[in-house]
Amino acid sequence: MAASISGLLKPWTPRVLLVRWSRYNPYYLEPEVRKEAYSRPESELSAEEKEERELKKLRPIKAATNSTTSSVFNDPVLSKFINMMMEHGQKTLAREIMMQTLENIKRKQVEKYHKATEGQKDGIECNPYVIFHQALENCKPVVALASIQKGGKYYQVPIPLTGHRRRFLAMKWMITECRENKHRRTHMYEKLSQELLAAFEKEGNVIKKKHELHKMAEANRAYAHYRWW
Amino acid sequence: IMSLHRLAFRLRPTVIQVRSLHSSGYVQQQEAVAVEPEPESVSVFRTHEKDPACHSDKHVGQFYTLSSAHMKTFNETCIMVRQPALEVISYLKKADYSQPALRYVFYGVKGTGKTMSLCHTVHFCYTQGWLVLHVPDAHLWVKNCKELLPSSYKSSRFDQPLEATTWLRNFKITNEHFLPRIKLKERYVWTKRESTEAGSSLGELVDQGISRVKSSSDVVGAVMKELRLQSGQPGSDFRLAVAVDGVNALWGRSTIKKEDKTTVDPEELTLVYNLRKLMKNDWSGGAIVTTLSQTGSLYCPKSAYLPQDLLGERGFDSMDPFIPVSVPNYSEKEFESCYLYYMDRNWLQHPQSRTEEGKKELIFLCNMNPSMFERLCGYL
Repeated sequence: MAASISGLLKPWTPRVLLVRWSRYNPYYLEPEVRKEAYSRPESELSAEEKEERELKKLRPIKAATNSTTSSVFNDPVLSKFINMMMEHGQKTLAREIMMQTLENIKRKQVEKYHKATEGQKDGIECNPYVIFHQALENCKPVVALASIQKGGKYYQVPIPLTGHRRRFLAMKWMITECRENKHRRTHMYEKLSQELLAAFEKEGNVIKKKHELHKMAEANRAYAHYRWW
Repeated sequence: IMSLHRLAFRLRPTVIQVRSLHSSGYVQQQEAVAVEPEPESVSVFRTHEKDPACHSDKHVGQFYTLSSAHMKTFNETCIMVRQPALEVISYLKKADYSQPALRYVFYGVKGTGKTMSLCHTVHFCYTQGWLVLHVPDAHLWVKNCKELLPSSYKSSRFDQPLEATTWLRNFKITNEHFLPRIKLKERYVWTKRESTEAGSSLGELVDQGISRVKSSSDVVGAVMKELRLQSGQPGSDFRLAVAVDGVNALWGRSTIKKEDKTTVDPEELTLVYNLRKLMKNDWSGGAIVTTLSQTGSLYCPKSAYLPQDLLGERGFDSMDPFIPVSVPNYSEKEFESCYLYYMDRNWLQHPQSRTEEGKKELIFLCNMNPSMFERLCGYL
């Protein structure tokens, strides 16, 4: 995201500072971490993939972060969520909380599964990863409001969102909701598991927030043409 | 047992669940028939043998179900039959009970299943009708003591009423049917007005301890003394099994402090003192099965797991001679069986964990350690 501080503008100060941009030259390529990508034989590759491989032999490659693994259990969405939950650089604690959340969800669902009758068993989803991904999907907003100035006044204009922005908003809402709106004495993993299960069933506060945002966007539909991009 | 495989701080609630498991399960087991011959095909990792007395080498690596009805999450309880427990059970079957009691010590690296082997052995003793004196964790008696009273019996010792009452309650539930049968041989005086006469049953003594919290530690001492005296006699019809988890706590250091901030030696605690008397093999007619544990121990380095290191000099000298039984990590067959059990119970949910690659990765990550494997599968 660009940050421009128009107050301190001197002729030599760049108007746009690199606040959260990557320091890498765009010449560098992303690393390929998955094991399957390397075990495919020559014959299976299409022409483009062969070109990409040739390119990778010549260009420099960025260093992989600490949290990326070539393990089969690696999940980029989950890693992002853990990074967002992390405070003061305590990745171990954030990861621990996430693991406890997943286990908690699994435990509740497996208990329900074993107690359910034969007919109900198919409807119960026991996989915590599926629940996590589905819950995040259910929480993602489709449109959001942006404050656009026109003729001296600021209007709330509904704008489309990119995939990354939607994912970020869903995760952010989930985490803030668990941190603030729940009882002080419950553990984070307990709060998170309750909220994720509710979001999976399309209930709960985060879904409510998403619906309210959609309603506001619908109400301000008239200003949609103020958007110029 | 899913929830029972936990470690460290989770071992306390684990072992307490074992207690409640015992309490609910054993009452029903009294009526249950030992072996159910079921002709249907037995799955590779499960066995239908519910009686630990019939477990033998061919059952190694298989899970047997305890017949108690309800357990959280899986709706059943299963323990894996493993070599160390089988060894101790075979010794118990062949031992001569007119000789002084034999001491068995389970030792091993952290998380290899020592407590579970102890539970298996205790289950065996219970099904054979022995009187089981089970201390779920001796470390709890030497740390985090909320109330410390000076003992009424000897002025230099200290009482712990809370721990003593919890233990007495559990003892009562596990050994319900023994309590009216055993009669006391001596007279015990608690206060000027209260005393228990010789000839009254053990049940009354235990009730006395539960109701009068202040004298509960002395009651525990009295119970242990009575059982020790009576178990070897030709007239007694029961065998005594003493099962202590974390026996290195009895000879270690404690974190309890007196009012003038000096540390209390475990010897000065009535509970520990009486338990140490039980650990000596001067009585006959039973067996002592114990476990060493580094996870709850105080002032012990993490790498220590051998009996010499954990018991210390005093402990080793008083426990000597004992039969050490090493509890190793899972063998491949046991790992396979545990993996299949989790698959069957729908515990391994991640789609990748069910593939060959995922399995190899799990083996690599946990290095065949049972507790690490359980923790990994928790979130996969």
